[in-house]
Amino acid sequence: MTLRLFGVGATWGVSLLGAWLAFVAATHGPATLVSIPAAIPALALDVGVTPLAAPFLGLLAMLGVAVGAWCLRGDRPVDAALISGFVAAMLFVLVARSVAAFVLAWELMALVSAFLVAADHGRRSVRRATFVYLVVGQGGALFILVALLLLASQAAGPAFSDIARSAAALPVGIRMAALVLALIGFGSKAGLLPLHFWLPRAHPVAPPGASALLSGAMLKVALYGLCIVAFELAAPAPTAWSIALVVIGTVSAIGGVLYALVDHDLKRLLAYHSVENVGIITIGIGVALLARSSGAITLATLALIAALFHAVNHGLFKALLFMGAGIVAKTQGTVDLEKLGGLWGRLPWTAPLFLVGCAAIVALPPFNGFASEWLTFQSLIGGFRLADPATRIVLLGATAGLALTGGLAAACFVKVFGVAFLGRSRRPKQSHASEHEQERFDGTTLAQVLLASACALLGLIPALAVVPLVRISAATLGAPLSLGTAVAPLAALPILPIALVVLPAAGMLACLALVAHRGLRRVPTWTCGSPVTPSAQYTATAFSKPLRLIFAFVLRPEHRRLVETGPSSWFPARIVYQIESRDLIDEAARRVGALALHAARRSRALQSGSLRLYLAYAVAAVGIVVVLARR
Amino acid sequence: MIALSLLQLLVIAAFAPLVQGAMKVMRARLQGRPGPSAVQPYRDLAKLWRKESILPDGVSPIAIVAPGIALGVALTLAAALPLAVPGIPSLGEIVSLIFLLALSRFALGLAALDSRSAFAGMAASREQTIAALVEPTLLVALLGAAALGRGTQLSALLHLPFGLAGLLAIGAFFLVLLAETARVPIDNQETHYELTMIHEGLSLEFSGWQLALVQAASYVRQLSFLLLAGLLLPGGTAWTLAAWVIVFAALVTVVETLFAKVRLFEVPQLLASAFVLAAASIALRLLGATL
Repeated sequence: MTLRLFGVGATWGVSLLGAWLAFVAATHGPATLVSIPAAIPALALDVGVTPLAAPFLGLLAMLGVAVGAWCLRGDRPVDAALISGFVAAMLFVLVARSVAAFVLAWELMALVSAFLVAADHGRRSVRRATFVYLVVGQGGALFILVALLLLASQAAGPAFSDIARSAAALPVGIRMAALVLALIGFGSKAGLLPLHFWLPRAHPVAPPGASALLSGAMLKVALYGLCIVAFELAAPAPTAWSIALVVIGTVSAIGGVLYALVDHDLKRLLAYHSVENVGIITIGIGVALLARSSGAITLATLALIAALFHAVNHGLFKALLFMGAGIVAKTQGTVDLEKLGGLWGRLPWTAPLFLVGCAAIVALPPFNGFASEWLTFQSLIGGFRLADPATRIVLLGATAGLALTGGLAAACFVKVFGVAFLGRSRRPKQSHASEHEQERFDGTTLAQVLLASACALLGLIPALAVVPLVRISAATLGAPLSLGTAVAPLAALPILPIALVVLPAAGMLACLALVAHRGLRRVPTWTCGSPVTPSAQYTATAFSKPLRLIFAFVLRPEHRRLVETGPSSWFPARIVYQIESRDLIDEAARRVGALALHAARRSRALQSGSLRLYLAYAVAAVGIVVVLARR
Repeated sequence: MIALSLLQLLVIAAFAPLVQGAMKVMRARLQGRPGPSAVQPYRDLAKLWRKESILPDGVSPIAIVAPGIALGVALTLAAALPLAVPGIPSLGEIVSLIFLLALSRFALGLAALDSRSAFAGMAASREQTIAALVEPTLLVALLGAAALGRGTQLSALLHLPFGLAGLLAIGAFFLVLLAETARVPIDNQETHYELTMIHEGLSLEFSGWQLALVQAASYVRQLSFLLLAGLLLPGGTAWTLAAWVIVFAALVTVVETLFAKVRLFEVPQLLASAFVLAAASIALRLLGATL
């Protein structure tokens, strides 16, 4: 109990610190708070804040408060303690202002989160997921390290402020190399295609509180890293790189939502939706860079606001959804959509809160996802007037891709909520013990209430986030501060969500009033005269079938049908129908992994154990260093 | 201004069932039948409104409120069109209207899955599938004005130069209109065979006043889309707009008479060609060709 309370207290403490730092960062601009010099200048640790870090710090603070509340009841005490360490490590990344500090913080974050992913290490699949997570994480960290060292080697010192000062004078080749390395490193951590394959494995196996932070906060910390490299350390980014960012973002958005659509494991599906949303945020960052490099500073500000706002929003609703999935897993013993159903009555708290999360993630007005996706669309469409014809066509493609993503996400969440929470339970027998217990209000519920209210509040009053974001984006891009009202979409946003939902809300209330006034007769569902059975309901597999077939060229579904016949071949005793879509990139990664393991096994020959051989290695290494150093 | 757009909303809502009835008559005549009276939809709505509503056992409140949300969304769409007023500034905006339409589909889709009926679930699945494919086309077809730097307000469509780009856009929009108003060759309003219905299947478990709300919503949406098509064409006066609505309504019935419903898995091809038209239209405008 003390360990749990310590974890919760520490998480809340770190969150408070994060909130304060966010406030300082947003209002006071770049500031160095602590600077620890080192004997070797390259190892100096600088800690400070920039405006760009403010939204991420704010998000971390909000999530920290909610996850802290979650840990009062949910997850094991040791996980609660680890979570506080995880939040602190992420906070450290966001305030690291020198190469050594950043890399140290990054590694801490990777390490602590790996313990959380491995929480349930008794299962083989969890151990594998942790292994893949560590391999991709460390590979990515290597790319980030090289990118930062490359930039620092050309600057006066290893502090980010020094690197930023000399960035503009760098040759394009070096900037481009650093940006590409950073995109691989941060992109792999953020879950951008094609380096997303660790994400659907690692996020679902962590405890729910940790999943909420992994998807809600850690992916955003990776995007923050991408942002500081692109907007500060290696600015200005070449156009080709920015276009690549928009293309990768669009592909990630569509790919993520397609794989989510055909997945029926609630948690893995949510992880794929993180890939989608990270893609949407990346599109916003790409448009901001494109607009800045062609001098359209107003548009750049709008796009950066959209990206940062969506980063915050995705953090909030994805954490909410992962918590809901955690409750489903705990009370029902499964997250397989095909075995769920009818949770609305059994989870009177979680079900409506999960619905808020679903509405927010598919960008329905008046929730926060709508405000930020709408801004992303506005910045893409604003980009149609950029000078370069190729850029215009890419942005047109991204606009259409984003619209497709929106439609597919809506289909996916109608499936998720309709199949898992509505209708009747699909399980023949009530097997799980806690299934019948009425859900009570406790810390886990409080956490969801907090996140759901944040989603609704930021959706109804987007100005709460947009006003500080205008300041932050303008400061990051060096744009004039008075630009808030000059941008037409920003001027329209405050009333838009309310104007859109006045009549639908009135219709909703009218229906409730009519039912109260005129009553409602309830009868069994008409199923053509046959008895009503839960298995007659539409399933998740069936629901996603049309889209699975239409996008079969990507998804490559494999059917397996097994018919067991009884005495007569006309009346099968049992039919097993299974369908599985393989993530193509996951397959490729598996092959590469197998090759790497094979190569490692072969290289064992070098390790013979003979002392003389090792001495020879050492001599050879010294020789090579001497030869290289003489040149 | 709000009063004016409320008036516009009421006028569109009042005429929407008549347009539905007139289209039914027109199609019946084309098929050599006398057909029902043009005011039959009003009678149907009045009859349904008086009847009690029946819902399946144990459904959640979502199934109760979904018809109201659907009608509210359709009326918002009607109020947002830039007809009586140049459009309420923040309401008549293309991107937000697409998100708004998704709201009504989301509510009806959840209600369908809640009803425990496989037919309703099937309809919800197909509706979401087609919507996902229609959304990019709908957005891109309406972005002509934005491509010329005039913003994403619907009112900017009013004074758009009409040329090849406009023609391509209206071609794409016509196919979208067929899909959004549940018409042959994509859907069939007349069918009562559960396996083929899409939009009708969504309302399968609704009855009485709830069914009246759902049907009124689809009538209002249909007239709004016809008006939107008229806005994409040259003109600009109330009379030309009315003429365009009649032309499009007639065209829809002609298409419904001449063509059969295509298989569900051929719908994507149809919608893909609509997308190509829309993308070509906007690409012409983006690349600055003033055709």
